[in-house]
Amino acid sequence: MKSVKNIKMDFVSSTVLDDKPRGKRINFILNKVKDGTILVTDGVLHADEEMELIRETMRRVDDGFPGIEVASLKKQTKGAQKMLESLSDQRDKFQSLIAGLTGKAPEKTSMKIGLTLIGPAKLIKKVKKNPDSFSVLTEM
Amino acid sequence: MVKFFDWLYALFGMKKNVRLGIYGSVNVGKTTIANRISKDWTGEEVGKVSKIPHETRFVQKKEKIELKHKNKKVMINLLDMPGLATKIDYREFIRYGMSKRAAKQRAREATDGVIEAIKWLSNVDTVLAIMDATQDPLTQVNITLLGNLEARKIPVIIVANKIDKRKARPDAIREAFPQYPVVEVSGLKGTNMDKLYEHIAKHAGRAR
Repeated sequence: MKSVKNIKMDFVSSTVLDDKPRGKRINFILNKVKDGTILVTDGVLHADEEMELIRETMRRVDDGFPGIEVASLKKQTKGAQKMLESLSDQRDKFQSLIAGLTGKAPEKTSMKIGLTLIGPAKLIKKVKKNPDSFSVLTEM
Repeated sequence: MVKFFDWLYALFGMKKNVRLGIYGSVNVGKTTIANRISKDWTGEEVGKVSKIPHETRFVQKKEKIELKHKNKKVMINLLDMPGLATKIDYREFIRYGMSKRAAKQRAREATDGVIEAIKWLSNVDTVLAIMDATQDPLTQVNITLLGNLEARKIPVIIVANKIDKRKARPDAIREAFPQYPVVEVSGLKGTNMDKLYEHIAKHAGRAR
């Protein structure tokens, strides 16, 4: 019988990531993923953070780490919840603007409600995404 | 500095060249579209096309293209971007017959290319988001790209490319992203390019 390689999955609460400043959040994620861990969290990164995640991943690509696979599902908000999310977005933008003007590190921003999976591309063969779900095929 | 000039142009009511960024995943036909646009209006191509992924690893520019549609005229600077990706494995290039050394070099340049393309997002006025109509459009790269453009308030036109292929399903792109204008084209054959020019003339350079 063939030996089965283990896959480590970390389910991290979004509050752990919310507590980190934006730059450190990306660092935290990539350090885990580069170590071979698949990270799952109950939140979704902001659009600019997702792009920052791709950029930072590219900086870290080497012979043993070809990159990442990401899949996320954002909860569709309605009514008052949507208004609260929009207000939160405006607050985040204002904080980023202040941070830019003062030269201080950007403040913490909350992740959006949803689900995100980020794993090493070496392990995740394919991510099949649908509007309301995704399936992940791993390779040992 | 770029924003300062934009402000200056706006202040004096002068028309500036619209920076049209061509973005998308790897091998969706970005350079084929860029070449088609450039050839149609200037007679010259922008870059080389290849089946090997990440052929475009540096931003390729073609400036001062005067694009006309009916009585509308737009002056554009075309920016053909390296393909966006979340992974780049040099071993993939070896499968196309490249030496290990050349493959590693290509991978290094490709990662730099992705970083460069992301950096340019701050300096484009309108984006053509190219998608391969034969592939599943719901990829994280497409979702991240569109989310980012929306957050930056950059006008975007989705280009459903490769409709000449039998497997093409441009309707899947429309279903996945109903909130965006989608133009179905074949960059290779030149199909529906007029419709794309109509959309560029309409959307290009809308104030951010």
